[in-house]
Amino acid sequence: MTKMLALLAPNFIDSLLLKWFSQETINYVIWPFIQIGAVVTGVAIWALYATYAERKISAFMQARLGPMRVGPWGLLQPIADAIKLLTKEDVLPDKADNYIFKFAPYISVVAAFVVFAVIPFAPSWGVITDINIGLLFVLSVSSVGVLALILAGWSSNSKYSLMGGLRSSAQMVSYEVAMGLSLIGALMFARTLSLSGIVNAQALDGPLTYIFYQPLGFITFLISGIAENNRAPFDLPEAESELVAGFHTEYSGMRWSLFFMAEYAAMVVVSAIATAVYLGGWYLPGVYRFTEAYHQAAILNGNPDGSQLYHGLYVIIGVLVFMLKMAVLLYVYFWLRWTFPRYRYDQLMDLGWKWLIPASLTNIVWTALAIFTVQALNGWRGMKTIESISQGLNLTPSGKAIMVGFGVVGLLVTAGVLSTINWRSRDFNLKGQRRDIRVIKNVPQGKPAVAPPASATPAGQET
Amino acid sequence: MSLVTIAKPTFKEKLKRFFMFDLLKGLGLTFKYNIGAITDKDSVAGRGIYTEQYPKVRPEVAPRFHGAPRLNMDPETYETLCIACNLCALACPEDCIDVIAMDIEITVAGKARKKKVLDEFIFDTSRCMFCALCQEACPTSCLELTQDFELATYSRAGFVWNREMLEQGRETVKYES
Repeated sequence: MTKMLALLAPNFIDSLLLKWFSQETINYVIWPFIQIGAVVTGVAIWALYATYAERKISAFMQARLGPMRVGPWGLLQPIADAIKLLTKEDVLPDKADNYIFKFAPYISVVAAFVVFAVIPFAPSWGVITDINIGLLFVLSVSSVGVLALILAGWSSNSKYSLMGGLRSSAQMVSYEVAMGLSLIGALMFARTLSLSGIVNAQALDGPLTYIFYQPLGFITFLISGIAENNRAPFDLPEAESELVAGFHTEYSGMRWSLFFMAEYAAMVVVSAIATAVYLGGWYLPGVYRFTEAYHQAAILNGNPDGSQLYHGLYVIIGVLVFMLKMAVLLYVYFWLRWTFPRYRYDQLMDLGWKWLIPASLTNIVWTALAIFTVQALNGWRGMKTIESISQGLNLTPSGKAIMVGFGVVGLLVTAGVLSTINWRSRDFNLKGQRRDIRVIKNVPQGKPAVAPPASATPAGQET
Repeated sequence: MSLVTIAKPTFKEKLKRFFMFDLLKGLGLTFKYNIGAITDKDSVAGRGIYTEQYPKVRPEVAPRFHGAPRLNMDPETYETLCIACNLCALACPEDCIDVIAMDIEITVAGKARKKKVLDEFIFDTSRCMFCALCQEACPTSCLELTQDFELATYSRAGFVWNREMLEQGRETVKYES
């Protein structure tokens, strides 16, 4: 076991590569390629098995078994599906826009996969690149995916595809606003846009991650993320009963599977961001003390080589913790899908514009107020709420308590105010409409225009 | 005068809607099913999962189920129990049984006698409605409708069973569980 971990430690590979390459080439060319290969393979397998997990979980929720025949418990089913899709005929619709039709899936899948460059799966070498605008990069690149959907819908020369493309673009554009705005609250705590920086700030802040300070932001982000991915209950672009399959109705074989993969990869992206920003990413309380601390102590003593194992263990546990948190969020995705029915289109737009965007705006103001309060209380009558603000906002226990209280109160107050405003909203509240229409007082009870004929009386009464 | 009276929501109902009580209840239900499916000890056709892995796991049919016909034989001598009395053919409402008998010469107490024995038995399962009146009529418990339910064949002629098929039974592929 220890030997295996030593193999995974980067120093061993470094010393192997130094025979052929210079240190610079290794650092800036070879290592990124190894990381990219590992991450792309990992994410592809993750997306592949997300389909398996979805089929299994949906089956369990309906008291079924799901795929059982290919391999033990159907574990090889996604591989069989992939082989089937790869060998299928690539059908091009008549009068479709040839080049755009063929190119759109690649835009979709690239937009979904490029984002993984900045996702911090683990500390140290567990992240491909740590850029200081990480979150901005994620939001901007993942919204390029909309372009692929529009192009695919337009170039297919099919009404279903066009309708699906229009719907999904409208949906993604309106939910992108709420998604971006809801993250700002968490950024106020972390004081950086780098995703590794956000995770580090949470790790330094102690056992509470930002989901406790930002329940409103987390819920808003999760809902708009699900809507952004066109997943049920927001799967109007692919509403099977209305639009066959939405924008990818005309796609088959490999190109269809690229869209499919991009959809699942986008799901993984949203859960990864939610994990990094709100659930603390690779941070698990206590892991640092038993692994990385020995390595840091050895560095201080000037002899870091012997403790590389602890460093490798720290990174690998970080990856596992990250995957576990992401898996929980993916389960929530499936869970919501197989529980809730689909929204109507006007309800979808109402939820985006009347609930989520106001809620995320409120969240920004409320978080600013909370941070202001905590800063004002720091030093007031000997109270200490903030420990340091060098790497994110580090709060003392009393500061944490105030912040959690602010979070819960903010969630309830925002929900209350918004439901008061939206309660009478004519478009959203169909029940209210029906009540208004049906309750009509004083309907005139006039006589019938034509008197009933005499023979209409029952024959038995005449004699 | 209202066509349909919809009651105004009470405060309790408003509170339920505010905290999304019904949505959470729905989530709880699906989660309960999921947990039930995972923790189901008898994972096939147990309490949590109702799927039956058919060719591997065969269903238990009802005790009075009538399926494929069979001509029983004497377990010691392997001679057929059928005495070619034709009662089953007479009892059959669908007229799907043909009993073809023949006479053989036997010697009883030194005298030559003729005996009527079974030559061929034709049973058309495509017309049979599995009422088991033939089974009731049989005086020697020879003809019996068993619990075997796999009767599909590749042609219409395959539905007509002869004496050999009725005595031996059809070969079906058995899958390992």
